[in-house]
Amino acid sequence: MLRRTVTTGLAAAALAAPLVLGALPAAAQQTTLRVFIGGQQRPDVMRPLMDLFQQQNPGVRVEIEVGGATSEAQQQYLTTVLTSRDPAIDVMLIDVVRPAQFAAAGWAEPLDAYLGGTDRATVLRRYLPGYAEAVVVDNKLMSLPAFADAMFLYYRTDLLQKYGLQPPRTWEETVSHARRIMAGENNPNLQGLNFQGAPIEGTNCTFLIPFWQLGGNLVGANNRVTVNNDAGRGAFQFWLDAMRTHRVSPANSAEVRTDDTRLQFQNGNVAFAVLWAYGWNLFQSEQSQVRGKVGVVPLPTFQGRQSATCIGGWQWAVSAFSRNKPDAAKLVQFLASGVASKHLAINASNLPVLPDLYRDPDVLRTNPWFEAALPVVITARSRPVSPRYPEVSEIIRTNVNGVIAGTKTPQAALTEMESRLQRVLR
Amino acid sequence: MSSKSPRRSIGDLSEGTLGLLMLLPAILLLCLIVVYPVGRLMYISLFDWRMSLPNAVPAFVGLEHYIYALTDDPKFWDAVYNTVLITIITVPGALVVGLGLALVANLPFKHRWPTRLALLLPWALPLVFAGLIFRWFFNYDYGLVNDILQRLGFGKVLWGTDPNLAFFTICLVIIWKSSSFMAMILLAGLQTIPRNLYEAAKVDGATSWQCFWKITLPMLIPSMVVALVFRTITAIQTFDIPYAMTGGGPGGTTETLAMYIHKTTIDFLDFGYGSALAMLMFLVSLGATTIYLRIIQGDKE
Repeated sequence: MLRRTVTTGLAAAALAAPLVLGALPAAAQQTTLRVFIGGQQRPDVMRPLMDLFQQQNPGVRVEIEVGGATSEAQQQYLTTVLTSRDPAIDVMLIDVVRPAQFAAAGWAEPLDAYLGGTDRATVLRRYLPGYAEAVVVDNKLMSLPAFADAMFLYYRTDLLQKYGLQPPRTWEETVSHARRIMAGENNPNLQGLNFQGAPIEGTNCTFLIPFWQLGGNLVGANNRVTVNNDAGRGAFQFWLDAMRTHRVSPANSAEVRTDDTRLQFQNGNVAFAVLWAYGWNLFQSEQSQVRGKVGVVPLPTFQGRQSATCIGGWQWAVSAFSRNKPDAAKLVQFLASGVASKHLAINASNLPVLPDLYRDPDVLRTNPWFEAALPVVITARSRPVSPRYPEVSEIIRTNVNGVIAGTKTPQAALTEMESRLQRVLR
Repeated sequence: MSSKSPRRSIGDLSEGTLGLLMLLPAILLLCLIVVYPVGRLMYISLFDWRMSLPNAVPAFVGLEHYIYALTDDPKFWDAVYNTVLITIITVPGALVVGLGLALVANLPFKHRWPTRLALLLPWALPLVFAGLIFRWFFNYDYGLVNDILQRLGFGKVLWGTDPNLAFFTICLVIIWKSSSFMAMILLAGLQTIPRNLYEAAKVDGATSWQCFWKITLPMLIPSMVVALVFRTITAIQTFDIPYAMTGGGPGGTTETLAMYIHKTTIDFLDFGYGSALAMLMFLVSLGATTIYLRIIQGDKE
C-alpha cells in the first residue's frame, strides 16, 4: 500500500516536472495588472478595453476587480487596501472628488515621470479644462481623466407628448408638468420627479444644485463656510415642497439612492428624474420599459436664476504601492485615450473627457443628446475640494438626508452644517 | 537523576506559585489579545493620529479628544443616546421574549426538535444577514411588510425613513435576533430546576401561575444574570443590524456609538479621535460589567 502511494507520487512528479519547468520562464515575463472598478462603472464594458491593451502589450495580463456599487463603498475598500500599503491593486478608478485626499495621503503614484518625454501640459491640453485641472494636485499629475459626468434631467418623451408639454427649463415648470402628468395618468405608482435623498455621495449634489442656482457659495471669502443663508433654506424648501406640497416626489425620497432612481425610471415609474449620464445607455437597453421614450435636457433652474449642475466623473490612478508601476502607468494612459473614451461613450453612455468626441458622428448616433451636454459639462461646478473630503461629504449628506426624511428642520441642518464644515475646512 | 529533579522541583513549589505557573499561558494570551491592544488604543487616543496623512508625525494632544467628545461633539452624545436607548429597549425585550421561547421549548412535547431548531436558527444567522433580510422586508416600494399592508387595504408605511419607525424596526430585529441566545441560556437554566419542586407544589395545591412565580423565576435568576451580562455588553456594541438596515439614517437618528467609531476611524481615517471614542465605549462596557458582577457577588453573599 505504502509502496503504491510512493510510486504514484513519483510518477506524478515526473509527469509534472517538465510542465513546471516549461511554464516558469513564461510566468516570469508575464505581468498581471489588477484594476479596481466599481460595480456601477460597467466592468462589462471596460473588459474589451483591457483585452485590447493585452493584445497590444503581450506579456501583460489585466484582471478586473469589481468593487461596491457606490462611491463611498469603493472608497472604504480602497482606503483599507491603501492604508495597509497592499500592492494587490495596481490601477484604480476613483471619483472626481478624491484626488486631493489621494495626493495628501500619498496613495497615488504621480504620473509625471511616466509620460514618455511628453510634458504634462501637452498631455492635459486634449482634455476638457475642468477635468484637466482636477487631476493635478500640488503641481503633480495624480491621475488621468476616465470619463466626465454631470447631473441632467431625464424625462419621458411619450408622456410629455401626450399632454402637449415641452421639456422644462425651470423647476417651477418641472413641478407643474409633473403634477399635470400625475393627475392625468392617475397611476399610484407613477412618480413625478425622482431625486436622491439617501445618505450617499450623490445626495450632496441634490442639495448643492439648487443651493448654487439660488446664488449660494459653500466656501466664500477667507475660507469662510457660508451655507446658513437664504440659498440654503431655499434649496431645502424646494425639495420639501416637491415631496409634501406638490407631492410630485416620492414620500420615501430619503432612502432613494442613485441606482434606485435609475431602476424606477427604467421600469417606467417616473416622469422626470435627476440623474447622471450613465442612465441613458441602460434606458435604451433591451430590458428597459422606456426604450425610445427618453429625453435628456440640462437641469432646470429657478425662474430668473442661472443654471448650475454638479460636476461628476471618474479618473484612473496608479497605486503608490503597485509593483508594476511602469506597466500600470501605460495602461492608465491607454484608458484615458480617445479610443477608450469613445468606446465608453458608445457602450456605456459615459460622457467623453475629450471635447472632440462630443461632435463624433459614431458617438452622436448612440447618444444624440451629447451635443447639448457639452456646454453643461464645461460649466458644471465642483463639490468642495479638500483632503478631508470624506468628512465634508458626510456632514452634508447626513444633514440633507435628515431634512428630506423630516427628522431635522432645514434651519437646524444648516446651522449644524455650517459649524461642522467650518471645523473641517478651516 | 536528571529526570527526577524537575519532578521534585514542581513538588517543592508552593500551591500559589504552581497556580500562577498554570495560569501563565492564559495570562500571556490575555496580555496579547486584550491588554496590549487596549493599551495601544489608549496611547493612540492621546495623539492627533490620521491615517489619511500617513507621512505626518502624529502630534501629542493629551486629553483633547476626550474633552472634545464629552463637551463639544453633539454627534458623540447622539450616538450614546441611541446606543443607550437600544440597550434599555432590546435587553429586557430579548429577556422577556427569550423567556417565553425557553418555556415553550421546555414544554414536554413529544417532538422537541422543531421548537429547538427554531430557537437556534436566528442565533446561527450572521448579524449582517439578519440586517439585510429585514431591510428588504421593510423596504418601502418592494418590501414584504408594505405589500401585506397594502393587500389588507392599508397604506404603505415609511419604515426606513421615519425616524421613530426606523428605530422601532431596528429594535424589533435586534430583539428577534438576540432572544434566541437568551432562550438557550434560560432553557439550560430551566432544565436544572428539580422536577420534585413542582411536584411538591402541586401537592400543596399551587396553580401553574404560582409555580412560575414562586419556583421557576427565582430558580432562573442566576441564568438570567449571566444572559443579561452578555447581552448588555453586545447591546452596547450594537453595529451590524443598524449598519445594514439604515446605515445610521435617517439623518443620523439610528447611528450607534460603534457606528460612529467605525465612521471616524474607517471612513475619516481619524485614528486618534476614533481611539478616544473607542476608549469611552470600553469604559461604558467595563462599567456595565462591574455592576452586573457586583449583583452576582451580592447574590452569593
